[in-house]
Amino acid sequence: MKKLEIKNLYVSVEDKQILKGIDLEVNEGEIHALMGPNGNGKSTLLAAIMGDPSYHVDQGSIVYDGQDILSLPVNERSKAGIFLGMQYPQEISGVTNSDFLRAAINVRREKPISLFEFIKTMEKTINDLQMSEDLAHRFVNEGFSGGEKKRNEIVQLEMLKPSLAMLDEIDSGLDVDAIKLVADAIRKIQQETNMAIIIVSHYERFLELIKPTFTHVLINGKIVLSGDETLYDRIDKEGYDWVYKELNLAKEEEETPAVTRVSLGNCAVAETMKGQN
Amino acid sequence: MRIQDNAVIELTGTYQNITIDTDHEIDLKIDSKADTELFFRILKAKKINIDADILHNCSILFWNDSEEEIETIENYRVSSAADLNLAYGECNNAKTARKTNVLLGHEHSNALLSTASLISTDKKYDLVLTNNQPKTNSQIRNYAVVLNGGRLMIDAVGKIVKGARKSESHQVSRALSFEEGQSATILPELLIDENDVQASHAMSIGKVEEKDLFYMMSRGLSLKECTKLISLGYLLPITETISDETLKETLRNELERKISELCMM
Repeated sequence: MKKLEIKNLYVSVEDKQILKGIDLEVNEGEIHALMGPNGNGKSTLLAAIMGDPSYHVDQGSIVYDGQDILSLPVNERSKAGIFLGMQYPQEISGVTNSDFLRAAINVRREKPISLFEFIKTMEKTINDLQMSEDLAHRFVNEGFSGGEKKRNEIVQLEMLKPSLAMLDEIDSGLDVDAIKLVADAIRKIQQETNMAIIIVSHYERFLELIKPTFTHVLINGKIVLSGDETLYDRIDKEGYDWVYKELNLAKEEEETPAVTRVSLGNCAVAETMKGQN
Repeated sequence: MRIQDNAVIELTGTYQNITIDTDHEIDLKIDSKADTELFFRILKAKKINIDADILHNCSILFWNDSEEEIETIENYRVSSAADLNLAYGECNNAKTARKTNVLLGHEHSNALLSTASLISTDKKYDLVLTNNQPKTNSQIRNYAVVLNGGRLMIDAVGKIVKGARKSESHQVSRALSFEEGQSATILPELLIDENDVQASHAMSIGKVEEKDLFYMMSRGLSLKECTKLISLGYLLPITETISDETLKETLRNELERKISELCMM
């Protein structure tokens, strides 16, 4: 049984500490919803698990399937079964979806996939997600609408069949019909493969469709509260204020540069210097 | 057809596949009589001089397969309202020095000049496209992947003469490298002597964005596999110059093989 174990994880970006001691355990087949106000580290956690080079792990460990994945390059983490459906998928000009996906499938196999089998699988997946038929020949995400980019992430998910899927606001940019379509596709893949899912979403309807088995609230770089599906219900109805109150948490102020107000006719530099003294 | 000596090539409307294989310098004259596509594979030549009068739509793709250094001097005059589509595939491991002049000498004559280069040695192109009449359109597109030990030098000139009103001259040049230490110099020049025209140039030289690599690697591709796919994306469009499907397939396979070989070094 494959298991993700995160212990005491500290992550910073550009010298700013974002995650301050995360502990999380995710077992095969479980669906975990990660909630919390914006800017509290949900995306950072997913990016750090995948190995995004802009994030720096300062402390702690991430073990997946018994393997220390912090020592693995990004592509090896993917081959170990980890997948990140990104909030802002990159556009890769000049590389077609079919060349990209075929290469991605082949690195997981001893023998390359036959062209016939690949085309058959790709066509079925495109059909499942109601993408346009020319998807295979278009460049990866180039010129795609926000919704198409998100559906294309799920096309990749369905074709690569990971054992741990992390979905970062995969529902944003999708209209109501597409949300249902994407949620159904994810559920179906989950039932077929029994993959684990970690999902970041602000949209209660999407979570209802996905049916998480666990909910975690991430505030100020820590998981402050964990529970079952009733937790996201309550957050959807009441917001986060009660969490801050009950747990006695301080809201972290956005860092704003100190501005000294100066009236016209004065030397702004001199006034600012005065203010600092 | 195989060319070993000076020759006149008549463009009569049927697709021609020509191999140049010679020990010495040769002069080629191109005579256009109907809309035609032309493919040249250069196996060996010291120096190639080309002189062409273009009166009909014409697509020419030069594929450099030589193992030795080559020099070319090419002059094209488009003397009717025709489109000239000129393309160079320079993915061989030997030096090239190329001088190409295109003169748009008739109203509504257009030229597109494209290069696709996989650079592992010295390649130097001097390209001059002149809009000599009103309402003419010239475009230059250079795509290059610069590998270890490669040096690319492109001097691309778009020139609009006085009186060539409502003409356009545009250039795009992109050079991609994967490591430090390769050299690419691209000089885009626009020499404009008329007011009522449109002209532009865009250029980028550098490494693949880290975010692109992260995205691709997060699907399991190694750095080398990313390099191969992105390089192929840079170079493959040149094969679209000729509509012959068999040729396209052959060139794609050749490109994939070359990129694999060179990227593994």
